[in-house]
Amino acid sequence: MMDVFSLLGHGFAVAATPMNLFFCLVGAVCGTLIGVLPGLGPVATISLLLPATYALDPLAAIIMLSGIYYGAQYGGSTTAILVNIPGESTSVVTAIDGYKMAQQGRAGEALAIAAIGSFIAGCFGTLVIALLGPPLALMTQKFASPDYFSLMVLGLVSAVVLANGSAFRAVSMIFLGLLLGMVGMDMNTGEARMTFGLIELSDGINFVALVMGLFGVAEVISNLEGVSTRIVNHSKIDSIWPSFKVLKGAWGAVTRGTLIGTIFGILPGGGATIASFSAYALEKRIAKDPSRFGNGAIEGVAGPESANNAAAQTSFVPLLTMGIPTSATMALMVGALTLHGIAPGPMIISRQPDLFWGLIASMFLGNAMLVIINLPMIGIWVRLLNVPYRILYLVIAVICAIGVYSVNNSSFDVYMTVGFTLLGYVLRKLDAEPAPLLMGFVLGPMVEENFRRSLITSHGDPMAFLQRPISLALLLISAALLISIVMPSVRKRRVEVFAE
Amino acid sequence: MKSLAWRGNIDFYSGLLLVAVAGVALLYIRTLAIGTVLEMGPGYFPLGLALVLLGMGLCLLVKGLLVSGPPVGMFYLRPLFFILLSFAAFGVLVERAGLILAILVQVAIAHFASRETTWRESSITGVALAATSAVVFVWLLKIPVELLP
Repeated sequence: MMDVFSLLGHGFAVAATPMNLFFCLVGAVCGTLIGVLPGLGPVATISLLLPATYALDPLAAIIMLSGIYYGAQYGGSTTAILVNIPGESTSVVTAIDGYKMAQQGRAGEALAIAAIGSFIAGCFGTLVIALLGPPLALMTQKFASPDYFSLMVLGLVSAVVLANGSAFRAVSMIFLGLLLGMVGMDMNTGEARMTFGLIELSDGINFVALVMGLFGVAEVISNLEGVSTRIVNHSKIDSIWPSFKVLKGAWGAVTRGTLIGTIFGILPGGGATIASFSAYALEKRIAKDPSRFGNGAIEGVAGPESANNAAAQTSFVPLLTMGIPTSATMALMVGALTLHGIAPGPMIISRQPDLFWGLIASMFLGNAMLVIINLPMIGIWVRLLNVPYRILYLVIAVICAIGVYSVNNSSFDVYMTVGFTLLGYVLRKLDAEPAPLLMGFVLGPMVEENFRRSLITSHGDPMAFLQRPISLALLLISAALLISIVMPSVRKRRVEVFAE
Repeated sequence: MKSLAWRGNIDFYSGLLLVAVAGVALLYIRTLAIGTVLEMGPGYFPLGLALVLLGMGLCLLVKGLLVSGPPVGMFYLRPLFFILLSFAAFGVLVERAGLILAILVQVAIAHFASRETTWRESSITGVALAATSAVVFVWLLKIPVELLP
C-alpha cells in the first residue's frame, strides 16, 4: 500500500514537468471542446491528433490523448444539460433530467453537480488503476500464448456486447476487421499478403486512415444530411455554486455512480456508455419517488455523469495491465502506444514505470484542470455552440486531410481515407457499427501471432486452448458473455437500455 | 420476393458486402502458401478468417432474402460525393501544388457538400485554414511539405 503511494509520488514528479502539464492541459481543453461540439467524438479526435503527437515524447503524447478521452466526458454533459444535445453518447441519459433542470432555471446546479460528480468519480477511478494495475500486470506476466489468444477473444467478444443491434452482425464486423488487419507483411515469413501489389500497403493498412475514414469523415457526411437545426440556448446560468441541500441530495447518486462506473469500466463489454445508462436505471429504481425522474431529478444527472467518468478512467486498466483494449477508444490507445514504440501489456508497469505512474498522476491533475475548465469558463464553451456547422465541417475536413497525410507524408493514405469513408458511410446505412471492426483490426495481428505460436508449442493440438486453466477460464467467460447477449431475456433488456 | 418492388434490406446488403470482401480476399489468398497446422504458412490464418466471413455473409444474405428486415438507410449523394472528392483533390494536390493550394481547393469542393454554405464564409474559412495550417503544421510541427508549387 505504502509502495503504491511512493510510486504515485514519483509519478507526480514526472507528470508535473511544465512540458507534461502543458500537454495535459491541451488534452483536457481539446477533450472539453469536442465533448461540447456534437458530431465529433473522442475516437475521431484522438485519431486526428495522433499524427501530431508523433514528434512528442511518448509520455506527453499519451497524457494528452487520454486527456482528450476523459475530458470529452466532462464536455459532453455541458451540451446535454444546456441545449438537450448530448455531445457524446455517454451523456445521452444526462440530457433527460439535466435539460429539464435547465428549463426550470437550475442549469448552474446541474452543471456543478455534473462537474463535481465527474471529478470525484475520475479521481476514484484513477486510484483504482493505481491499486489494481501492478497486481493485475504481475498476474498477466504468467500468461503464455494460448492465454493471450483467449484474452484477445474475450476482448473481441466485449466489442460485441458494446455494439448496438444484432450480435451476429457485430461478430461479422469483427471478422471483417480481423481480415483487414491481415493486410501487409506476414510477421513470420516477411511475405506480402493481400497488398494487391501496392508497396504502400506492405506495412499494413494505415491505422489513422482507417479510423479517420470510418469514424471522422463518415460522421461529417452523416451530419451534412438534411437541414441543420439551429441550436438555441435559452437557459441562463446564474450561479454555478450548488446549495448544501442539492449537494446532500446528489451525494448518494455520485457514490453509487462512481462504483458502477468503476466496475463497468474494468469489465470487458462494459464501457462508459453502458455505465451511464445503468447508473440512471439504478437511480430511478431505488428512488423513493421515481416520477421525479424525467422532471429534473438531480440524481439523474449526478449518477450517470459520475459513472461515465469513473468508467472512462478504469477502462485503462485492461489496456495498461494486459494490453487488450475493451473499447474503440482504447483500441486507439493501443495504436498510439505502438506508434511510439511501446508494446501495450503487462511489461509497461515494470519496464516503463515513468510512463505508467506519470500517466496516472496526470489523470489526477487533468481531472482537477477539467473542473476549472468546465465550471468558471462555462460561458466560453456555450458560445462555441454558436459556430455553425457549415463552417465547422470545412475545418474538420481540412484538419482530417492534413492529419492523415502527415502520418507518413503520403498521398496514398489520403486516398485510403476516401475508401474507408465510403465503407464507413455504407456501414452506417446498413446499420452496422464500425467499432467492432476497429477492435478486430487492431487486435488482428496479435490474435494471429498468438494463435500461431500456441499451435506451434502444442504441436498442432487445438486442445492447448482448453488445457491451460487461465485460457479455459477466459474462453468460458467469453462464451458466457456471448450466450448472454443472444439469450432472449437479456437481449430484451439490452434493447431497452439502448432504446431509452 | 415479398412484392415486386422488393428493394432488399440491411441483412441482404450487409451479406452481399461481406461475401464480396471475402471473395476478393480468397482470390488473393490463393496465391499464398497455406501450410499445415504444424507449419502454418502466411495464408493459413487469413484463409480461416475469409472462410468464416464468407459463411457469415452467406447467412446474412439468405436471412435477408427470407425474412423481411429494416430497409437500407437513405444515401445522401451530395455530401458523400463532394466530401470524398475534396479529400481526393487534397491528396492529388498536396505534393504537386503545395499545401496552401491543396487546402483552398479542398475547401472550395467541400463547400458544395452543404446547401447552407455561403461563398463569403467559406472563402474566409478557407484562407484562415490555409494560413493557420501553414503556421501550425509546417512552421511549428515541421511537416515536410511545400507550401507553394
